[in-house]
Amino acid sequence: MSTLDTLQDILIDEFNLTRDQLVPEAELTSLGVDSLDLLELMFKIEDRYKLAIRDDVPTDLTTVGDVVVYVDDLLARQAKARDAGSGDLHAAT
Amino acid sequence: MNMRRVAITGLGVVAPLGSCVDELFAHLAAGRSGIRRLAAPLCEGLRSPIGACVEFDGGAHFAAAKLRMLDRVSQLALVAAAQAIADAKLDFAIERSDRCGVSVGTGMGGAGSTDEGYHIIYAERSERVKPYTVLASMTNAAASWIGIDYGISGPNLTYSTACSSSAVAVGEAARRIRSGDVDVMLAGGAEAPLTFGVLRAWEAMRTIASQDIHDPSASCRPFSRTRTGLVLGEGAAFVALEEWEHALARGARIRAELTGYGLTTDVAHITRPTVAGQAGAMRAALSSADLDPDAVDYVNAHGTATLQNDSVETAAIKDVFGERAYSLPVSSTKSMHGHLLGAAGALEFVIAVASLERGVVPPTMHLDSPDPACDLDYVSGCARTGVTLSAVMSNSFAFGGTNAVLIAETPDVHRRRH
Repeated sequence: MSTLDTLQDILIDEFNLTRDQLVPEAELTSLGVDSLDLLELMFKIEDRYKLAIRDDVPTDLTTVGDVVVYVDDLLARQAKARDAGSGDLHAAT
Repeated sequence: MNMRRVAITGLGVVAPLGSCVDELFAHLAAGRSGIRRLAAPLCEGLRSPIGACVEFDGGAHFAAAKLRMLDRVSQLALVAAAQAIADAKLDFAIERSDRCGVSVGTGMGGAGSTDEGYHIIYAERSERVKPYTVLASMTNAAASWIGIDYGISGPNLTYSTACSSSAVAVGEAARRIRSGDVDVMLAGGAEAPLTFGVLRAWEAMRTIASQDIHDPSASCRPFSRTRTGLVLGEGAAFVALEEWEHALARGARIRAELTGYGLTTDVAHITRPTVAGQAGAMRAALSSADLDPDAVDYVNAHGTATLQNDSVETAAIKDVFGERAYSLPVSSTKSMHGHLLGAAGALEFVIAVASLERGVVPPTMHLDSPDPACDLDYVSGCARTGVTLSAVMSNSFAFGGTNAVLIAETPDVHRRRH
């Protein structure tokens, strides 16, 4: 399942949205997802991907696609950190 | 110039025993108690696992995205306020929004969200405190949401004077209408204290009633020799208050007139009430209503069933009403709906207004053996029906000492106030 699919699933559950609305270009604010909602959304993403996201979520995530890129980047860095023998994502950032 | 009068045009409640005024009042008049043994897991680890819960599911009223931002206290407040608005047939889209305001009383605000946040921090040792914790738990959240939802842009105020909070909120709202600052106020209170942390803290004060082993619903016994304390309850109650001519001009049904509001403070001790403070608040309310004590037909007492309150309140009533005190119906409906703390004053004022409209005095329940120091007519065990009521008083007292008393009278279009 792609990151976009997963993000769509979470948003459909939590915000009463449909998959059609959740295209990569869709702006979060126009979907009713504000900056605090986005922080709470990150908890769900952490659980889904076993990620540890701390208080450094960027404030310039404006579209669904931006969140996908951000999560994919975190996943890539986590994989890299694991390959380097460190289990701590933040040690690699 | 005549003083501006305050009409009560709408009532709303979400309370133990009823999710509307009619349902609540029918249960009270029948002497039914909403106090129960609390369900698991809340009851585990409590000395006295009893409370008065509201059957309420926020998911039935709010979309998930909004529900996330609302503590239970704000959910209850929004639903009760919506009832009062619908009952008054108020449409804020056609009102001058800056001439309308919101006035809410709450003792503990979003206690559940605070409790949950601390559990995440201290018990789970997690960093994942919910981003909405501050906004859900802040004391003024309920008032703010009502203002936002209805576009009410005048004063938006929250009063926190412990157990008299919402009596103060209603009284201060009436003053704003009288003064000419506003024409419409939504006023009331909300409380959602049935969380483990709050229940344990109240238990630690030794003010919570012991559970009646045979009948948990009979655990709260105001004015009784065998009373052991209060029972916490949750809920919300609101009134729509309007300047009299404003209500008449839009053809609103005026349920009652809010004529009296008295406020004093005990300065003896943080918890101990005083006869002088309580009596002073009742006198101040009578004076602001320009009403003779003999004209009061019913007192909805503060009547918490704590050792201190009930004997002091009885003495204060005697101090104000003299001989009349012995023939004046006084009841504590807390024996049935429990103590809603910051929401208690508004709830009991709504009950007093409902009483006035129906000519029915709700009883004090579980009063089989009165305290010798409590020797008034407490309407014990059975409602009094078919009585003519023209003025009712509602008493609200508090830890911290803020005593607030409200008076409502039957609407009389021809009365002139000076």
